[in-house]
Amino acid sequence: MIANATVAQAAQKINELVAKGLVRANPDRVKNGKPPITQFNPMANDEQFVRRVYLDIVGRIPNYDEAMAFIKDGNPKKRADLIDMLLDSEGFKVHMFNYFAEMLRLKDNLDQANLRGTPYINWVKEQVAKNRPYDQMVHEMMTASGKMWHNGAAGYLLRDAGMPLDNLANTLTVFLGTDVACAQCHDHPFADWTQMQFYEMAAFFGATSTRAPYRNETVMMEVEKLVEKAGLDMRRIRNGIQTYMGANTYVVRDLDKNMMMLPHDYKYKDGKPGDPVSPKFVTWSSGDRSNPAYKQSKAKEEKLRTSFANWMTHPQNPRFAMTIANRMWKRAFGAGINEPVTNIDDPDQSANPELLKHLAEEMKRVKFNLKEFMRIIYNTRAYQSEATTENIVMGEVYYFQGPMLRRMGAEQAWDSYMTLVLGQPDAYKAPLQDLYSKSIDLNLETVDAQTVLMKYDAYRRMAQKERELMGGGLEMAGDDSMMMDAAPKGAEAATTAQMDGPGKILSYEGMRLLRASEIVQPAPGGHFLADFGQSPRDLIDGSTSIGNVPQVLMMMNGKAQQMLTNRDSLVFRTMDKVKDPSEKVERMFMTIMNRRPTLQEKDIAERELSASGEEAYSNMIWALINTREFIFVQ
Amino acid sequence: MKSELLKLDDHSRRQFMMGAASATLGVTLFPGLSAKMQAAEKMITGPGTPGFGKAKNVIFLWMSGGMSHIDTFDPKTGMTKGFSDPVKAKAEGIDYLGGYLPKLAENANKLSIIRSMTSKTGVHDSGTYIMKTGYEPRGTIVHPLVGVWASHFLGRIKGVTLPDSVVVNSGSAYPGAGFFPPSMAPIPISSPESGLQNIRPTTSDSMFGKRVELMNEFDSAFRKRFDTEDVKSYNEFYDETMKIMKSEDLKAFDLSQESADTRDKYGRSSFGQGCLLARRLVESGVRFVEVRMGGWDHHNTIDTAMTNNGTTLDTGFSALLLDLEAKGLLDSTLVVLGSEFGRTPGINENDGRDHYPLAYSTVFAGGGTKRGFTYGATDKDGRRPADKQTTPQDFVATIGHAMGLPVNEVVMSPSSRPFTVGDKGVPVVDIFA
Repeated sequence: MIANATVAQAAQKINELVAKGLVRANPDRVKNGKPPITQFNPMANDEQFVRRVYLDIVGRIPNYDEAMAFIKDGNPKKRADLIDMLLDSEGFKVHMFNYFAEMLRLKDNLDQANLRGTPYINWVKEQVAKNRPYDQMVHEMMTASGKMWHNGAAGYLLRDAGMPLDNLANTLTVFLGTDVACAQCHDHPFADWTQMQFYEMAAFFGATSTRAPYRNETVMMEVEKLVEKAGLDMRRIRNGIQTYMGANTYVVRDLDKNMMMLPHDYKYKDGKPGDPVSPKFVTWSSGDRSNPAYKQSKAKEEKLRTSFANWMTHPQNPRFAMTIANRMWKRAFGAGINEPVTNIDDPDQSANPELLKHLAEEMKRVKFNLKEFMRIIYNTRAYQSEATTENIVMGEVYYFQGPMLRRMGAEQAWDSYMTLVLGQPDAYKAPLQDLYSKSIDLNLETVDAQTVLMKYDAYRRMAQKERELMGGGLEMAGDDSMMMDAAPKGAEAATTAQMDGPGKILSYEGMRLLRASEIVQPAPGGHFLADFGQSPRDLIDGSTSIGNVPQVLMMMNGKAQQMLTNRDSLVFRTMDKVKDPSEKVERMFMTIMNRRPTLQEKDIAERELSASGEEAYSNMIWALINTREFIFVQ
Repeated sequence: MKSELLKLDDHSRRQFMMGAASATLGVTLFPGLSAKMQAAEKMITGPGTPGFGKAKNVIFLWMSGGMSHIDTFDPKTGMTKGFSDPVKAKAEGIDYLGGYLPKLAENANKLSIIRSMTSKTGVHDSGTYIMKTGYEPRGTIVHPLVGVWASHFLGRIKGVTLPDSVVVNSGSAYPGAGFFPPSMAPIPISSPESGLQNIRPTTSDSMFGKRVELMNEFDSAFRKRFDTEDVKSYNEFYDETMKIMKSEDLKAFDLSQESADTRDKYGRSSFGQGCLLARRLVESGVRFVEVRMGGWDHHNTIDTAMTNNGTTLDTGFSALLLDLEAKGLLDSTLVVLGSEFGRTPGINENDGRDHYPLAYSTVFAGGGTKRGFTYGATDKDGRRPADKQTTPQDFVATIGHAMGLPVNEVVMSPSSRPFTVGDKGVPVVDIFA
């Protein structure tokens, strides 16, 4: 860890650059009819800060005790301390994983037959858990070989197996902030990208294969004989066995020949359809060719993607550090310095070019340690300001007088509900992380019929067991066998989890009470997460924070609100620790909103208590979790 | 443009002149805008052309898994016939239907069949995507469903409190609104029996009212402080949802309002009941209803599988057509049946058929289409279109044409990429009366 004094200095430097940017922006603001800004928004108060920083760093609201502990703390450097504590907690890993899951489109069930992304997901979780430097992590994803369950990092290329051009377009977009999807099919109409340049970049992966040749005929004949001898109907299981074996053909390998060529409909003068293409790094400005990142020795075909990875993740690459710095900034403030974060066409056209370039330098200085980078950002005065109250229209440039008002992401909302139910949701983890990896592997080169059948049988039993234990999420709801496993009794349940070790899972009417990161990725249709806008993981950063009718119906009438307004819920049990109704109301507000009620709200509560008696509490819990204040992060 | 001009001196990058010329002339923007398309724009589609805008509503029957064309709407008698003999169709313009569809054969005088469909992809996901959006899936953008294009061009139907489009038998409407605002996505209904989820409060109506009032009171300071579009749009969603909760039209989602006799006619399957739900929704003003039916991936023992699935389809589809006709809705409601691809003409070693995108069928009925008509044909074994080859793009454009959408109009996505209904497909206007 960098000494705290250094963090403070680094944060101060950022404050200065943001402040300069605010002043510089004023003529434009005035032109657009907005008053000039002379300083940051006022400092956020402790109540606002504690809720925001929990949501931003550990992805959930603080529970009652956590919020109270911070608010009561008289230590003048309590904010920095809380940031340090949260960055070192389990929740940080979970929330960082959620971010990567969305950015990298992580899925448990891939479109290719029987191929699961689970081993890749687990690999990403491991990297985040050990705070692996981002450049190293990405380098490994680009260069990994083998099957996904032997090398999780190979999942990056296998995620898009059979679609190498789409994979490359995504690579450039995610890691280099360079959106060239158009150039896949024709010259980019609005930016300076040619289709030829796209293919030259794709050529770095032209000698990389994601599919091994599949020869199973002899083995299948043997299998057939064995199956018939056992008196079973081959016609019913052949397809299953074939796709089971097929999953083993997804292997990342390097070939000694570059297969990349221009597409059959290539129509520009600099090449003909079917011409081979040589790899060539793209540049963003005329000076780039003398940049050390470009000094990659001429590689053999088998080493092409290593050269690519060396160039891309090189600290001096013109876009790599800047892109992740801009993304991390957006995580904290709700907007990138350059928008969209997927396309930094020209840093000088961004909201604050000096700041953007400085942050890229900071990212290099901390050696791509994202935890350290975020520590600096969370310690800035800019971040610790109140959220901006003025309306910011779509496409308007934002200058960071404080964070923007943001709607909770689906994962933040769900995990906050989990906090209201469980208190410490990180005490609950899904068991059976990866039985799949253990049962799917076959060596297609050497396997015999007997082994195929034995392993296929084991695989089917594993899948069966998994269905029983893991369920499929909420689509199982309503099924009588999926009724409540145990009443959700927060503190008590937490003890159970401790005693039983990881693996004890609570559920409520078919909803498994686990953090979003522990549920199938992405959650199935009909799940709270899906209704709330979790990314379907088909597109980069594919989540949405816009409402819809089923979502609001779910918030008002669904099972999740029922669980929280239930007399057994942790919210009630937190209130039950005190007798006096007005103290109960204070606890209710602190638990759900992480703030004390205002005088006016106390009056409303009192009125409601005298009108509805005990039911008033359920009514008020319902009302609070349905407020805009609850789902928007200040 | 500003940034592009600033970089003019940069020789290592794209030659600006080449880019500017092609962008100005639109050459690279619309490389597929062939002479054929330009002709189409003038003559084939648009107001006054046959069938244009006749379909006020659409019921889209989606056969998920790849429906065998030979066993259903393009039966053969030769070596690829399969396990069942074709039945004679009672229509002048249609010869036979597959032996698993006797009721539809009886009602064939309501159908227009396209037998010359052909596609490039034999993969379920991309095949489905391309048939529903007209576009190949890309990792970088999501394209809208046809029903969402209709909402974009035609706006919401006036006086209707229900959503514009609904997907039945699915928890997900993917790809939904595509690059249009998410609020335009269809509402997914996972089962016709349970209808729209969570429409009833978990308390009495009066207590629900009280809760809403408390919510508004507790939230008033926040809403005053953050008077932003994002917050306001949420307020609107809450208002809209409460309107739907109170809507008389909500009954449309409630199948128990139908007589047992009617429900039996559609068949007590999720598909049959989904068709019935679709009819109810269309009656209440929902513009576009998709009803999904799974279980068509018949790699194994297709005879048994077709006996089951065929009967379910036969019962639900024909009941829907008869019911729409009886209620006078068939002329204004287009019923379309599609699937991601066909299945291999040859029977495989598991007595099944495998994926086959080179030739397959789609079916249209009502909504201004010809009654008892066959468009295009495959060769004698059902291996290739023999004439009038029709692509998924043409299929999507045909639906758009029937709904009265300007299928040639270019719409820019928020990422400034140009798109049209059905990706420049040409509507098959021959099927319209």
